Amino acid sequence: MSDVTNSDTTSHLGEAAEPGETMIELQELTKRFPGQEAPAVDRLSLKIPKGEIVVFVGPSGCGKTTSLKMINRIIEPSSGHIIIDNEDVTTIDPNQLRRRIGYVIQQIGLFPHMRIGDNVATVPNLLGWDKERTRERVDELLDVVGLDPRTYRERFPRELSGGQRQRVGVARALAADPPVLLMDEPFGAIDPITRNRLQNEFLRLQGELQKTIAFVTHDIDEAIKMGDRIAILQEGAKLAQFATPEEILTNPANEFVQDFVGTGATLKRLKLTRVREVELTDDALTGREDEDRETLRRRLAESDWTAMLLLDREERPIRWLRTPDLRQQQRPLTEAGLPARAIVEPQATLSDALEEMLLGSAGVAIVTDGRGRFQGLLDVDDIILAIQTMRDTEAEFYRAAKLSDPDDEVSA
Amino acid sequence: MAFLEYLSDPSTQRELISQTLDHIYLTAVPVAIAVVLGLGLGILAHRSPQLRSPILSVVSTLLTIPSLALFAIMIPIIGIGAGPAIVALTLYALLPIVRNTVSGLFSVDNAVIESAKGMGMSATKRLWKIELPNAWPVMLAGIRVATLLTVGIAAIAALVGGPGLGQEIFTGIRRIPASGSLESLLGGTLFIILLAVLFDLLYLAIGRVTIPRGIRE
Ligand SMILES: Nc1ncnc2c1ncn2[C@@H]1O[C@H](COP(=O)(O)OP(=O)(O)OP(=O)(O)O)[C@@H](O)[C@H]1O
Ligand SMILES: [Mg+2]
Repeated sequence: MSDVTNSDTTSHLGEAAEPGETMIELQELTKRFPGQEAPAVDRLSLKIPKGEIVVFVGPSGCGKTTSLKMINRIIEPSSGHIIIDNEDVTTIDPNQLRRRIGYVIQQIGLFPHMRIGDNVATVPNLLGWDKERTRERVDELLDVVGLDPRTYRERFPRELSGGQRQRVGVARALAADPPVLLMDEPFGAIDPITRNRLQNEFLRLQGELQKTIAFVTHDIDEAIKMGDRIAILQEGAKLAQFATPEEILTNPANEFVQDFVGTGATLKRLKLTRVREVELTDDALTGREDEDRETLRRRLAESDWTAMLLLDREERPIRWLRTPDLRQQQRPLTEAGLPARAIVEPQATLSDALEEMLLGSAGVAIVTDGRGRFQGLLDVDDIILAIQTMRDTEAEFYRAAKLSDPDDEVSA
Repeated sequence: MAFLEYLSDPSTQRELISQTLDHIYLTAVPVAIAVVLGLGLGILAHRSPQLRSPILSVVSTLLTIPSLALFAIMIPIIGIGAGPAIVALTLYALLPIVRNTVSGLFSVDNAVIESAKGMGMSATKRLWKIELPNAWPVMLAGIRVATLLTVGIAAIAALVGGPGLGQEIFTGIRRIPASGSLESLLGGTLFIILLAVLFDLLYLAIGRVTIPRGIRE
């Protein structure tokens, strides 16, 4: 038992210690603002592996934004080096550099006098792409961020909601397909529900795009959710810990990290497990809206289920139906029973799913794929089981650590 | 009644129309020069913190010089006629244009400028494609004020031998209390007011055409 645990633990830690190819490397990066005694960023050294999201998190004023803005040299470093894709970019032409780096900020900064399409086309235009190619790319990107190009391409920024604007901000940053993205609290100014949705959408997108991303937030929960790795920064951008979210939650490096992570580490860890990682109930009883009432009723009666999930023609869940709902003839099926609530996508975290269940006062969450098609159900028991498993792993981890203690003493 | 008679006299009409055309010229030329100079100075003042307060103080001071005095000062330097009037009016028109250019440029959202920068737009491109279009409504308002100001002050040009509706007004003033003097005075003034209204409408139209729809009120 402890053997298995040991090897598990090693592989887990090993993964954190041995990142893949480095895409961005900061070497002793320092920024001293004129007239300030202490540097805002003091010799920050950090490697961001290719294709990963590294989140910079820390208390207000610790130097997150300054660190990020030095990567595309919106703020010029006082000393130190920035290496991107094995090239020292500390002194190259900043405009050339910036065209290779997508940049998303909290205030978004869409150009108010330009249509959405032209906003997204900014970098392609700077790079001199031909019209046709740019147009296709703009439409493709608006589609990718979930905005119908025909509806939104010709609009102006002020004709969009905050969440839609932020999507355009992301599309604009991705326009010329830069390998690197810098994001400074991109979802900071958005209401919690929309923020959650945008985070999930962005993670799904990142799953396909595999960009190398430096992401700033002051919210540890967002850091845990978004980060492949988290850099917890202290005053002067001193690195308090740089590790995977799991590692930070189980093994905070010091008191600062512990305080910053705060209480409720177990609950936070619900944010680390995604719905797709747990086994769903996939034998749920479903019916389709174009099926006959009587067929549905008989199927429900013959099953162990007390309710049936009604799907539309595209397999998207719409209603929960019980036997009486199927007996009555007055209302169409699409209005009978209860609306299907608490719908989550596979990349949502267990925490999201739990929250949706609580919000929708539903005992189960309905899992759908990216197109909204039904995949399976997730109930509270599944989540409790997942927490249980994490506890066990943790317990085993500490047991393993204890077992290795005497060895340490011998060697010391 | 006497005023209507005065207005219906064909020779007065011819005179007033020709003076109005002169007045338009006396307004348009200084404003055009002031726009070119004012935009340049405004952009400079916005860019350079060191030059900002000298530029703004100089153009503000110019506007405080009484117009009569400024016109008079021009005579020994340039002589009489349209020349001194155009120079003096240009100097007056500068302040609203420079000031609104500076405040227009400062009113552009920092996040907008930063994101343009972050996408690798050069400083020149940023100025032309982002900053000026967004500052334009405020700048245009400055140009409009400068124009209306010039229409009014241009009347004084008649005192230094300049053309325009000021001539009709001063003809009237000089002849007071002779008959017809009041009519001349009122006629000149009326046409100046009409001209101001016309310019205002023109700026409304220019705003419609040149202010990007995304930032129009
Ligand atoms: N342009 C500037 N001039 C002078 N000092 C600055 C400037 N920008 C930032 N600072 C200082 O540098 C320090 C770090 O600022 P920074 O914006 O990087 O913090 P942050 O971690 O992003 O904080 P927040 O979470 O509040 O955004 C702060 O003490 C700030 O006052
Ligand atoms: Mg910040």
